Amino acid sequence: MPTRHFILLLAIVVQPGMVLFAQNKSDSAKALREVIVTGEKKQNPYTAIVPVQSLNHEALQQINAETIAGAAKYFSGVLIKDYGGIGGLKTISVRSLGGLNTGIVYDGISIADAQTGQVDLSKFSSTFVQSLELDQPNPQQIPLPARIYASASVLSFSSNTFNTTNFTKKKWLAGIDAGSFGLWQPYAGFYTPLNKNMVLSANAEATWAKGNYPYYIDNGMFSQKAIRSNSDIEAFQGELNLANRFADSSVLQTKLWGYSSERGLPGSIIFFNDIAVQRLQDNNIFVQSRYQKKFNPFTSLLLSAKYSYLYTKYTDPNFLNNAGGLDDRYKQQEIYGSAAVSHHMGNYFSFSLSADWASTHLTANINNFAAPTRTSLWDNFVLQFNKSHWQLNASILYTLISDKTEKGIAATEKNKFTPAFAAGYKSNPESPFLFRFFYKDVFRMPTFNDLYYTYNSNINPKLLPENANQFDAGITYSKSFKSALGLINISMDGYYNNIKDKIIAVPSQNLFIWTMENIGKVQIWGIDLNAQANGRFSPALKWSVRMAYTWQKAMDVTDPSSAEYKNEIPYTPEHSGSALAAFYYKLWTAGYSILFSGERYTLGENDPSNLLPGWNTQDLFLSRQVPFRDFSATIKGEVNNIFNERYDVVHYYPMPGRSYKLSIIINNL
Amino acid sequence: MKKNNLYLLAFATMIFIFSCKKDNSPTPVTPKTTKGVYTLNQGLYGGNNTTLTYYDFTTQTPVTDYFRNVNGFGLGDTGSDFIIYGGKTYIVINNSGYVAVASTLNAAFLDTISFKNAGVNRGPENIVFGAGKVFVSSTDGTVAVIDTATLTIQKFIGVGSNPAQMTVSGNNVYVSNTGGFSAAYDSTVSVIDLNTLTETKKITVGINPGSITVDSSGNLYVVCTGNYGSVAPSLVKLSLTTNSIIKTVDSAYGTIRYYNNTLITTGGYLGAANVGILNVSDLAAVRPSFVLDGTIIQNPYGLDIDPATGDLYVGDAKDYVSSGQVYCFDKTGNKKFSFSVSPGINPIRTLLIQQ
Repeated sequence: MPTRHFILLLAIVVQPGMVLFAQNKSDSAKALREVIVTGEKKQNPYTAIVPVQSLNHEALQQINAETIAGAAKYFSGVLIKDYGGIGGLKTISVRSLGGLNTGIVYDGISIADAQTGQVDLSKFSSTFVQSLELDQPNPQQIPLPARIYASASVLSFSSNTFNTTNFTKKKWLAGIDAGSFGLWQPYAGFYTPLNKNMVLSANAEATWAKGNYPYYIDNGMFSQKAIRSNSDIEAFQGELNLANRFADSSVLQTKLWGYSSERGLPGSIIFFNDIAVQRLQDNNIFVQSRYQKKFNPFTSLLLSAKYSYLYTKYTDPNFLNNAGGLDDRYKQQEIYGSAAVSHHMGNYFSFSLSADWASTHLTANINNFAAPTRTSLWDNFVLQFNKSHWQLNASILYTLISDKTEKGIAATEKNKFTPAFAAGYKSNPESPFLFRFFYKDVFRMPTFNDLYYTYNSNINPKLLPENANQFDAGITYSKSFKSALGLINISMDGYYNNIKDKIIAVPSQNLFIWTMENIGKVQIWGIDLNAQANGRFSPALKWSVRMAYTWQKAMDVTDPSSAEYKNEIPYTPEHSGSALAAFYYKLWTAGYSILFSGERYTLGENDPSNLLPGWNTQDLFLSRQVPFRDFSATIKGEVNNIFNERYDVVHYYPMPGRSYKLSIIINNL
Repeated sequence: MKKNNLYLLAFATMIFIFSCKKDNSPTPVTPKTTKGVYTLNQGLYGGNNTTLTYYDFTTQTPVTDYFRNVNGFGLGDTGSDFIIYGGKTYIVINNSGYVAVASTLNAAFLDTISFKNAGVNRGPENIVFGAGKVFVSSTDGTVAVIDTATLTIQKFIGVGSNPAQMTVSGNNVYVSNTGGFSAAYDSTVSVIDLNTLTETKKITVGINPGSITVDSSGNLYVVCTGNYGSVAPSLVKLSLTTNSIIKTVDSAYGTIRYYNNTLITTGGYLGAANVGILNVSDLAAVRPSFVLDGTIIQNPYGLDIDPATGDLYVGDAKDYVSSGQVYCFDKTGNKKFSFSVSPGINPIRTLLIQQ
């Protein structure tokens, strides 16, 4: 199998060269140099043939979101599992498919964690993010690395420093945020052309937070007010970007990214036992490169490569083992490469081929640890048809995954073909309406934790991948006006997902020994509604509004004889949504935002005793720009959760109540 | 009635209707305590949902979360064991790190006994009584001696690593030391003298000893769970007069209980999920299943015997994350009755309410 893959890889790398060679010499290098290469070609969310939601830099600065986790809460269909506070773990589940079915992509290349299968989004600051985008099921532009197709949905974000449209101006930014519960967040960045064809940029941010917010333990005569403890974090992140444009207009972008944090894990509230001493240390680093080349107006090549290193240290000094505490250290390394090519044929057809390879190795200081190495191959073929009313995308992904272990049994090799299809229809190019449909079949591999976690679990090498099917049909409306209402975009999508062979931890005979099994079946029905509008009341007074609403019914259909049958799966509210409004008057900006969630159950057996009440949080901000001669300053004040709503996203992980934040940013942008 | 008042009434009714959320805490039901059983439902780790079910023999109805109904507060997280002794019910709440003491007949709360060592949870797990004292084993390698008059801990006796279960025979408490929190398992049973309240010896029985019981003729039975890998689970029989192993069989069991020259068992992590019955002389199965009338138990979890009648109470954990069920069988293996402990999860222990 790897041989066949290698041939395909070779074909992809070599084939564009052949195409180029065959091209007429009149496609001169000079003409090619004129091609404008942009870092990220953005789709308009309301004209894309698959559901796309995005928040641009401006919107990201208006919401209360230190990290991209906070920002992604504003998307429809999204559940961010938030364990509270700035230091709390935050993972994303889209359309109830679970946290392990969402791909995370930074500047065009996947971020992966084979150990847990999900990325903690609290590691990614939103300060320097240019745009955050959620694609269901994946972006439709070509060429793209094959791995991006291997998820049920893709959350991608890009840094402004990777936009190569402007190579001329030196830019810089510096600021500091100070907030309740001991939050201090200074940051700075710059962007400078080294010469006509080379840009260097760097940014860095530090975060200190105590996370010592008040909460309430509700348990009859033992109820009490308390302060969250061991919830502090100290985090540093930084990145260095270099973009080169070559004589043939091809672009090479290289990013070095690092993150280091040390935080407390406050744990869930346990009645009568409020001690939490577990600590988590993360040291992550990656270096990635992307090379984009257009051989001619019809043929493009995209090469990507990445090396990543994740170090995790988890300590629990109170763990009652003979060693007098836990000190678990994990090191995960991954080497990744991708080659993708796209080609337009005739007037209507385009195709793209991509082949990716990754090798991931995990080691730990744990006795008898399996130390697995996973080799993954992804090959993807996309065929697009584009003619007046119709836009059709069909793709097929081949995945091959094989594990080796240094100790114990390795999981059996898995390979699979998974198809996807998307279609968009407009009655005429000027029509404000677009009808769209997509289908995608995708699976997720058992993670290293699923397969090789040795504490208190039986290893199950027969574990199968978890399958998810998605169907979506939607309509969008997009129109501009010359009035107080300038632009309005509305989209509505109905969807049906089903999950088979869901990986579930099952206790075997006592609660401390678990086995992972493929026993779950889930059916999910949902509707996503998104609306966005902006305009101006007068030349000085502008406004913008966006709203997202999700209706969802996610049901466990595993076993008709069980108490959970046709009950809602845990933590899936039927109603949830968000709204954001901003008003701009001269140098002033004011905004209001709300997040809400209906009630939901914490257990698969929906019983009033495990019903968690709904909640909403409302935030306000006011900012003013102060222009100076060479730069400008922005001062912003925020009141978050203004009504001091006490709520849990995850039961017994209380969220902060009302908080305040003040920011000062100076820049010459 | 004036029209205005009608409006007011309608308005008030509407406010009432709109302010009614889904019922989060059922209205307290406090039945008169007659003869019945208490079932301790472990709940889920981290869920603060340990509950106590009261099943009344006369009305034949279970009331789950009886403890909260009576006392207005929840027991906490991961109840692991309880006993009824001297008119008091002692409930061990492992992850909350304390023992709740209640009056047996009406479950009225009396006191808490904290199991914290400089604030750190000792992990109380198992509880037995003997010679007028109550003993609680904790994960931190101790057995606490509780003075039943003052409800305070009189002393801690050091035993092996991560002790799990205890049983009392003659003048001794036997404690199985699992060592389950470390890479190298323990393989001993500690012997505590009831008079001196000290550990007098450790008997080596096999890797990772768990469930433990004694018969009426001076033999000890220990389930050795093995290391989930190269060392298979076994069942060991020891003579307490010679402190030597009489018989070892390779069998996986979860919990074992002794009754009338037989051992009643639940399946271990490798064993079948059924209730078995073994002959104590050769540790072989008397018949394939204890249950004779075809009653299906999904995952036998709690296992308790009424020594007076031989009635067997089996707690069915189902899928371990949803409401459990308790079955009562007579000593011949025929079902007498069963009741749901909904919304209680993982019924780990059922005891007769008696003074």
